Amino acid sequence: MTEHFAQPPLIALQGIGKRYQLAGQALSILDDVCLSITRGDSCGILGASGSGKSTLLNILGLLDLPNSGQYQFAGHDIFSATPDELAAIRNQQIGFVFQSFNLLPRLSALDNVALPLSYRGVSRHESVAQALRMLDQVGLAERAHHHPADLSGGQRQRVAIARALVGNPSVILADEPTGNLDSNTAQDIMDLLLTLNREQQVTLIIVTHDAQIAERLQRKILVRNGVVSEAGGL
Amino acid sequence: MSLRVEQSLSQLLHEAFVSLRTLGKRSVLALLGIVIGSSSVVALINIGHNAAVDAAMIFKDMGTDTLIAQFPAKRSGNLSMRAHLDLDAVRSAVPGIAHIGALSLFSGPIVFHGRTANANLVGTTPAIHEAMRLELREGRFLSPFDANETYAVIGDQVAQALGAPGDPLRLGDRVRIHDYLFLIVGILHNQPRAMLMPVQANESLFIPAEGMRRIYANPQIGNVIIRAAPGQDMERIARQAAVALQRQLTDHSVDITVPQQMIDGMTRQSRTFAYLLLALGAISLVGGGVGVMNVMLMNVSQRRREIGIRMALGARQRDIRNLFLLEAVTLTAVGALCGAVLGITAAWLYAWLSGWVFSLAAAALPLGVGSTLLVGLFFGIYPAVSASRLQPVEALRDE
Repeated sequence: MTEHFAQPPLIALQGIGKRYQLAGQALSILDDVCLSITRGDSCGILGASGSGKSTLLNILGLLDLPNSGQYQFAGHDIFSATPDELAAIRNQQIGFVFQSFNLLPRLSALDNVALPLSYRGVSRHESVAQALRMLDQVGLAERAHHHPADLSGGQRQRVAIARALVGNPSVILADEPTGNLDSNTAQDIMDLLLTLNREQQVTLIIVTHDAQIAERLQRKILVRNGVVSEAGGL
Repeated sequence: MSLRVEQSLSQLLHEAFVSLRTLGKRSVLALLGIVIGSSSVVALINIGHNAAVDAAMIFKDMGTDTLIAQFPAKRSGNLSMRAHLDLDAVRSAVPGIAHIGALSLFSGPIVFHGRTANANLVGTTPAIHEAMRLELREGRFLSPFDANETYAVIGDQVAQALGAPGDPLRLGDRVRIHDYLFLIVGILHNQPRAMLMPVQANESLFIPAEGMRRIYANPQIGNVIIRAAPGQDMERIARQAAVALQRQLTDHSVDITVPQQMIDGMTRQSRTFAYLLLALGAISLVGGGVGVMNVMLMNVSQRRREIGIRMALGARQRDIRNLFLLEAVTLTAVGALCGAVLGITAAWLYAWLSGWVFSLAAAALPLGVGSTLLVGLFFGIYPAVSASRLQPVEALRDE
């Protein structure tokens, strides 16, 4: 696709700003954010509550559009993309992992994992087969037909990771992926994510306020009052 | 990057059924409205159809090519009608008449081998055979040469009543009316009831009109029955025949019934009734549709987070819209099927209670189920489109 430009960044933000109108007052959440992330990076986004790190993650994940600036994702200009193209990029390039897992309670683990494939026009038979392979990879093959309510927190997050990975994305965006888990389980989930990053070259972007988790990632991006800086410099 | 691809059909159906299973009790109430609407449409169309079939049966045996003339007296008082009319004059005056015959009615007992039965004694001209479409089981009908004979043709029911096991009434037997013996020359088939005919063939004994005087001092012509040749304008024949008959009468007027007019009247009436019922069905369908919309709007607002997740996983607006639209239509389809079964049962019950023959109207099921599905689609569009317009980040924020 865009490999022949001496490894251009997967994600390139230039002067990104995000403002909300709240009770008639303009509220600036992000201000002049510049950031570039290369394929295979593992980054932590750190900051206090309300610092704007979740908004940054939503913008990175194409769930929210910034008000100003430039954003290139894998060669696509986000500002000129149609909603359908944004949906296609989310579907094919991005895997989301949420703090509260966000599995669909009415679907079995298997159907949850297969869901992203259904939005690509993959037949049900084939998507179930792929979902089963992915569940096997996160060690939950024998729980495939359980519903999320019957799984523990750690198991649910594994299902969510399998769902994020099933489409073979180039980046995983995780919002406090271990926030609802005990420390042992959190350790396991982090090991799993880092292994994927190391072995499959999946770009990993994790929002966290846990310094221990941030320690295990290559890059640490700090968000403070809507301004982004990088610890350790690059 | 390869952009896109529709969701496969198997995936869509799978999701709709999972959702429907979990929609649960809330949808049952909405379904109730849909079931009532759909079943009333199906039932009403079918009942209307069966009523029309039944009405048509009444006229089928008589046919729309038959005219019946009556002769009411012009003044009050006991004016006797003539015993003979020159029907050949009428036939030559009015083109298009195939058969024309006169009836003189009288009723009385018939005796055979000591058994007595009451019957209509019908003084008949020979053309009545064709004019009334009488069919013979045995023997022959009265001919012009029988005018002065004591011959008779007997209806099926009278023949049954006079016969006994081991001693049936046969051709060549003689039956007694008052003091005269009549020779049976023909036995009629069982004839279906013809509603407009002045006399039912099954309950009659046909004898030559000229012989009526033997058993009744003052025979009068009661009716003239005319059958037109195929493809004639019945109104014209009725008008001209009335004029021709009137020429021979002084004290009586001529009143001719055209069956087609009555059929038209009945059809108009039943059509008005059917429209009324159809409007009723349509109103209950709209009520059901509003119920579906209500359930789907609640469904959408309760599943905002799910919509957000699906959008994060790559669902486009149209995928979300199709998801909820398909759920609304599936919900309606279940209601439509229940309604179809209920509607046909109701129509069958109605036909059974009315003593009609039940037959399924070809239009009932497609119209009933089709209109219900359209209602579901129509009322499902607004909730589905409002779901698809949600912004992913807003939908995800919702708890």
